[in-house]
Amino acid sequence: MTGPLPLDAWQLLLAAALVLVNGGLSLWLRLGLEKKLLVASLRTVVQLSLVGLVLTPVFDLAHPVPVLLVGLVMVVLAGREAVHRSSRRWPGVQRTAFLALLIGPGFTALLATGVVIGADPWWRPQYLVPLLGMLLGNALTGISLGLDRALSMLDEGRPVVEARLSMGATWWEASRPVAADALRAGMIPILNTMSVVGLVTLPGMMTGQILSGTDPALAARYQVMIMFLIAGATALGTATAVLVSVRAAFDGQGRLKWGWIGR
Amino acid sequence: MLPQVQKVAGRPGGGGTGARLGGGMPVLSATDLCRRVEGRVLFEGLALAVEEGEALRIAGPSGCGKTSLLRLLGWLDRPDAGEVLLSGRTARDWGGPAFRARVAFVAQQPARLPGTPADTVAWLRGIHHARVEEDPVALAEGLGLPAARWDQPWTQLSGGEAQRVALALALCRRPEVLVLDEVTSALDPEAAAAVVQALRGRTVVLASHDARVAEALGAREVAL
Repeated sequence: MTGPLPLDAWQLLLAAALVLVNGGLSLWLRLGLEKKLLVASLRTVVQLSLVGLVLTPVFDLAHPVPVLLVGLVMVVLAGREAVHRSSRRWPGVQRTAFLALLIGPGFTALLATGVVIGADPWWRPQYLVPLLGMLLGNALTGISLGLDRALSMLDEGRPVVEARLSMGATWWEASRPVAADALRAGMIPILNTMSVVGLVTLPGMMTGQILSGTDPALAARYQVMIMFLIAGATALGTATAVLVSVRAAFDGQGRLKWGWIGR
Repeated sequence: MLPQVQKVAGRPGGGGTGARLGGGMPVLSATDLCRRVEGRVLFEGLALAVEEGEALRIAGPSGCGKTSLLRLLGWLDRPDAGEVLLSGRTARDWGGPAFRARVAFVAQQPARLPGTPADTVAWLRGIHHARVEEDPVALAEGLGLPAARWDQPWTQLSGGEAQRVALALALCRRPEVLVLDEVTSALDPEAAAAVVQALRGRTVVLASHDARVAEALGAREVAL
């Protein structure tokens, strides 16, 4: 096996030229996406370069504190993004998303490095940071979809929930269908991905490993593990976010609060 | 301009300020009730009481707060001040679900729940605080709703059919009080008469634009 071929600046520029094709299409079809495309491309370059710059000393320091700090920053940023993507929010949604990402991807990543892979030490950044990144990226999609569904069902579906409450249901009896539907919505993307992975898509991690010279069979085993971890992290994270949010929608007397959900 | 403060009935045990309490413990009562919506006071200092087997009609023009008051009595909203009591015990002490299982609120436009009304009955049987004491299908038949309609999705029921199903779902639990918001608004006179028949002898607080329903029930009337 050989390592990855070196990639110079001019090669990146060559790849960037392909983005110009997108720009050309946008101009030709008057999509109005040129500015967004430029900003997104610049963000890609800057963000990934910064990650490279930050991770190099973190890898070199070989100490758990900077590794966990990097992980914490990733969780916070993912939490903001999860809330940003949801069309509805409630006063404690930011804290809830953070908690959900700590419990879902955070716990799963530590379980993966410490137990499943058995990395030594358990915080070895080469494993923990990319794993956490992948879990966060997928879980935040699930969380934002789950939150969006739960909050819209509680908001637009208020008469249905209150009809159940007025028949003597507790907050949980009245909102269990809401929570179930929201969880389902949050899990659909990863379930869809798992159904077609390897057939129509080669996931980023597997591609990266193969490009780095890893045996494809080993890369496939890693990818299988990753898919299971993503499913677990997404389910845990989405369940946490949905259940905390649904509970917070009701007061101590089991009444659905007014003016609690905003946009 | 704020709406005028109404004292629609005496405070329970307070000697009465126009209440017709007959000395007994009211089944449902409210004291010093206040409700504000978006800064506007709908009512405040409001007290009312209803005794067992009595019907009480909340009357007033549209927008005066009848539905808001009924929702408070059904413990679906939090009052800005005051208490709602069932058999002398505050709703807060009963706890929301236990109180709402005993005081059945029926909305003017019943929510179209997922599935069919039969599914709703099955769900209701699994609710911790609720008891299905009577056959809701038979009750609804008494209101003029054919039994076959219980297997149709809620979304396919007409307004009048949904009202009768919702009322049957409330009646089948034999609640201590029925709090009804315009439950005959989508019914023809024949069906409305059947509703009146089903409500006779029950403890009812209702808002109804149709004065004939309240009259037929011999309801005491209070104005907001």
